[in-house]
Amino acid sequence: MSDFQIEIKGVSYSYPVREGYNVKAVKNLSLNIRKGEFVALTGMNGSGKSTLAKLLNGLFQPKEGEILIDGISTADESNMFEIRKKVGMVFQNPDNQTVATIIEDDIAFGPENIGVEREEIIRRVDEALEAVGMSEYRTRTTSKLSGGQKQRIAIAGVLAMKPDIIILDESTAMLDPNGRKEIMEVACRLNKSGITVVNITHNMEEAALADRIVVLRKGRIAIDGTPKEVFASGLIEACGLTLPPITELSRALAEEGFVFDGVVISDEELAEGICRLLK
Amino acid sequence: MSAIEISNLSFVYSPKTPNEKQALKNINLSVEEGTFLGIVGATGSGKSTLIQHLNGLIKPQDKKRMSVVVNGMSAADRKTLKKLRFEVGMVFQYPEYQLFEDTVAKDVAFGPKNMKLEKDEIDRRVRRALEVVGLDYDKFAIRSPFDLSGGEKRRVAIAGVIAMQPKILVLDEPVAGLDPIGRKEILALVKKLQKEVSPTVIIVSHNMDDMAELADRIVALKDGEIIADGTPKRVFCNRRLIKEAGLDLPTATSLTDMLISRGVKLPNDIVTMAELARELGAALRRKLSVSASEEYEDREDFKEYDGGCGSEYDDRYEAGGCEYGEASDEGEERWDGEDENV
Repeated sequence: MSDFQIEIKGVSYSYPVREGYNVKAVKNLSLNIRKGEFVALTGMNGSGKSTLAKLLNGLFQPKEGEILIDGISTADESNMFEIRKKVGMVFQNPDNQTVATIIEDDIAFGPENIGVEREEIIRRVDEALEAVGMSEYRTRTTSKLSGGQKQRIAIAGVLAMKPDIIILDESTAMLDPNGRKEIMEVACRLNKSGITVVNITHNMEEAALADRIVVLRKGRIAIDGTPKEVFASGLIEACGLTLPPITELSRALAEEGFVFDGVVISDEELAEGICRLLK
Repeated sequence: MSAIEISNLSFVYSPKTPNEKQALKNINLSVEEGTFLGIVGATGSGKSTLIQHLNGLIKPQDKKRMSVVVNGMSAADRKTLKKLRFEVGMVFQYPEYQLFEDTVAKDVAFGPKNMKLEKDEIDRRVRRALEVVGLDYDKFAIRSPFDLSGGEKRRVAIAGVIAMQPKILVLDEPVAGLDPIGRKEILALVKKLQKEVSPTVIIVSHNMDDMAELADRIVALKDGEIIADGTPKRVFCNRRLIKEAGLDLPTATSLTDMLISRGVKLPNDIVTMAELARELGAALRRKLSVSASEEYEDREDFKEYDGGCGSEYDDRYEAGGCEYGEASDEGEERWDGEDENV
C-alpha cells in the first residue's frame, strides 16, 4: 500500500451550469495527503475547494482521473460505504446537519445506519460527545444550541462513525468568533489523536493553524506548503486571498525598520521581532 | 438631526410561556443622521431583535411606554409603516438567499416596484443600483441571479435594497461567508453607499477589527442591554467590559496589550492595525534617536529630527488623556448607554 492515505491522481470535474455550458471546477489536480496530516484547503470563492471536498468522500465522481482513500477508489460504487465511513464530512450550515431532536439520537444515527451493535453505539456516542466537550448535553435538544455547539454535535455525529479522515467544509464560516475557536480547538485535538483533518476555509488565521496549506486557484493547486512557505510565497494575493492580519502587520513594520526572522505567523514571532528592537 | 430615536425599548419573546426570553431591556438609543454605527454583542445579546425594530418588523410591545421613531415616523404607526420601510433598507445575513426572480434586473426592481414608481424611474434606479454595487448593467441585467458567484449574488441582493434609496441602511453581518477579497470589496462598498446613497449606516458584526476601522460609534449589547456606547477607541479600550460582553478585542488592541506586558511602551488605546504599525514605527524612531543622542549629544541636525516626531507624539497623549504603558483596565469606570445619550 502507498504511503499516502489520500491520493488524488489527475482529477477533473465539471458542473453543467446551463444547457450545453459546463464550468470546470477542478482541473487535472493531483494531491497526496499522509495519515495524520492537518491540511488547510483554501482559495477564493469558486476556486474548487468544496468540489474537491465532495470528490473526496464520493459525493461527486471524478470525470477524469481517480481518487484513492487508503488505496480504495471512490469511483467504485461498491466501495461507497467503506469510503463514507472513512471520510467524515462537516458542512457549513449548523442548522442543516441534524436529523434527530435529541442530541444522543442524532449522534447515534450514523452508526445505527451501518448496523453497529447497541452497546457499541452507546459507547461511541459517549466517546464522541466527550471528544467535542458536549457530554452534559447528551439528552438535550439540538435546537437550543449555539452555532458552535451545533457544529460540535455535527462533528460528534461524524466521529461516531469512527472516521480516519474528517473534512470540515467551511464549518466555521457561519459561526461567531467563539464558535470558530471551539471548532478549531476540537479539530486540533482530533488531529492530535491521529485523525487526518482537511479544513476548508478562507479564513487565513485559521489556515495558519494547519501543518500544511494547499491553495487552489481556478481548479488547480497554486501553492502547497507549510503556512510559512505559503505566506512567504508572494502568491497569496494573486490567488484572491489575503495574508493573516499578523503577517500583514509584520510587513508594515518591516517598512518601518523592524526586522523579523522569516515570515511572521504567530503573535509570539511578532512580539519577538518588536521587543528585540524596542526593549 | 437624529435619524433614530429609541426610548425605553424592551422586548420579550414568547411572553408568559415557559420559553419566555427577555431579548431587550430598556434600550435608549439615539442615532444622528450621517453616523456609521456598529452594533456588537455576543450571539443572543439582542442585536437582531434590536435592528428588526428599526423598520417595524417587530413592533414595540408596550406602545405607551416604549417608542421607536425613525426619521420622525413611529415604527408602531401603521399609517406610515410602508414609507418607513422604504426609508430603512435592511440587508439581512446571507441576503443572497432572498433572491427569487429569474433575472438580476427583475430582482433589483422588486423594491422600487413596490414603491409604485413610474416604469422609467424603476429602470433608472435598477441601473443606478447595479452600477453603485459594481455590477455592469448590460452584462448582468438579464442573467439569472442563481448563476452568479457568492460575492456577485450578495451585490445583487444589496442592489435590491439600494434601489429603494433608503436613508438608513442596516446590514446584519454583511461579509459573513465571503472570501477575503469579497470581504474587502463589500466593506468598501458599504462605505461608498454611505457617501452616495444612505447617509446613516448601521452594521451588526462579530468582527471587531472591521468595526474598529469603519464605525464612528460602537454600541455594545449584553443580554439585551446596552453596556457600552461611544467611539471605537472608547468602547474597545474598556477591556473588562468587552470581556464581560463575551466579545473579542480588536486584534490590534490585544496585540498592544501583549506588547505592553512585555515592556514595550505603547499607548493603550490602539484599535486598528494601521495605528499599531504607526505607533511602533514612531517608538522605533524615538528609540533610535535616543540611542543616537547618547552617542552624538551635541549634534544639531539630530535634535531637529527628535523634535519633529517627539512633539506630535506628546500632544496626542495629553489630548487623549490616555495613560500609556498600562494594559490593565483597572480603575476604568464602567459606563452605560444612557450617559452618552442624554
